[in-house]
Amino acid sequence: MSALHRRLLTLYPSDFRREYEEEMLAVLAADGRPGPAQVFDLVRAALLVRLARLPAAPPGLRRAARVAQFFGTLLLLAAALRRVVPFVPAGIEALDPLDVLRAAVWAVVLAAAWRGLRLLGFAGATAGLALEVAAPWRFYSDTPAMVLNAYWLIMAAAVVLVAGLAAARGGDRFRGVLPVLSAAGLLVALSEVYWLASSQLSPWLMLGNGSLSPYYMERAPEFAAGVLVLVAAAGLVLLAVFRQEPAVRRWLLAWAAPVLVTVPLIRSGFDAFIRHNAGHPEATRLLDGFQWAALVLVPLAAFLTVAHLTSRYERGRGPARTGGVA
Amino acid sequence: MLAAMSEAPMREPTFLVLTALAEEPRHGYAVIEDVSALTGGRVRLRAGTLYSALDRLRAEGLIEVDREEIVQSRLRRYYRLTATGERSLAAETARLREQAAIADRRLRARRADLGGAPA
Repeated sequence: MSALHRRLLTLYPSDFRREYEEEMLAVLAADGRPGPAQVFDLVRAALLVRLARLPAAPPGLRRAARVAQFFGTLLLLAAALRRVVPFVPAGIEALDPLDVLRAAVWAVVLAAAWRGLRLLGFAGATAGLALEVAAPWRFYSDTPAMVLNAYWLIMAAAVVLVAGLAAARGGDRFRGVLPVLSAAGLLVALSEVYWLASSQLSPWLMLGNGSLSPYYMERAPEFAAGVLVLVAAAGLVLLAVFRQEPAVRRWLLAWAAPVLVTVPLIRSGFDAFIRHNAGHPEATRLLDGFQWAALVLVPLAAFLTVAHLTSRYERGRGPARTGGVA
Repeated sequence: MLAAMSEAPMREPTFLVLTALAEEPRHGYAVIEDVSALTGGRVRLRAGTLYSALDRLRAEGLIEVDREEIVQSRLRRYYRLTATGERSLAAETARLREQAAIADRRLRARRADLGGAPA
């Protein structure tokens, strides 16, 4: 029995064991109530002790989460509106109900983020994530690349959901709203001009096969103009980021990392997969377990890596210079 | 953390451990025995629950180590209530007393409404 107790006590943090292991073994020996309930109690308590020892999230991370939730939602709303606005003149029957629903849900999440309504923000972001997954999933069995194309949106929705949970309560007014609002406006405006339609830009952005097709080369001036508008939108987002206080700016990079990493991940990691499906419509391959795991784990690893580096940087600078308290 | 703790109701194991230590310094197994005695055998703490509570209460400054002994080649550590722990236990006791008084008054009123019939 003592061997079992010792094994169970290895579940506890080492400092806790150093402090209490001997005492606990003596109490367990004296108590004389072995059985599943005792095992459950030891495992449950180990979990509680470990949870209590988790370091508190750095204040900068939580304040940046609030900004990431707001900015991310605004950009997701713009991306949703971009798919709705061009079809509005054609009437309601021309609209994809899922796109309309996406725009409505992100509008609700945006209002919740602005007002600091956490529960509404969480419920809305959960629905928004489900819709971002559902939209390309309709075409997954025929064109798996649709999911890959939209993966940055799915990841952005996931980041907004998690950031909303981690966001610091209250706080000052958002900084940099005007630039990011302008960037969102530019993204919506892209859809109004046919030669800047996202479908022309997405192959270059997401499904890059190393070179542009003749079709895109023929339309090079329009394509270049579209890229310029995108660059302008990206510049405005960067301006909004630079308007933040230094600690928030640093941690915003951690929140953006899972979304940013999807571009090189899809471009370099799934190029052969997309080429195969494009060349063999009669034998479309679906994503396998390893590929799904990469799609989930690589963005997670990107967040953890940037968060770890930011933490190390801030520890090196000392508490007085890391951006104050929450 | 202490301010937050004083606002939130104490969980029963915490209250019972502090109550056990309010009488005199006790070691772990003695706390289990005392809690069992003062609840008429209803609550008999297990080792995991007890030591996770002791660890947390020490971190919050509500209890501290009184002394250590070696008994039959095993460490026996006695814990005692701190002044902060005493205040926290007193606040919780007052809160429970107040709630019990409210419940008691309402039960009396209810019995009176029902014409003196037992509830």
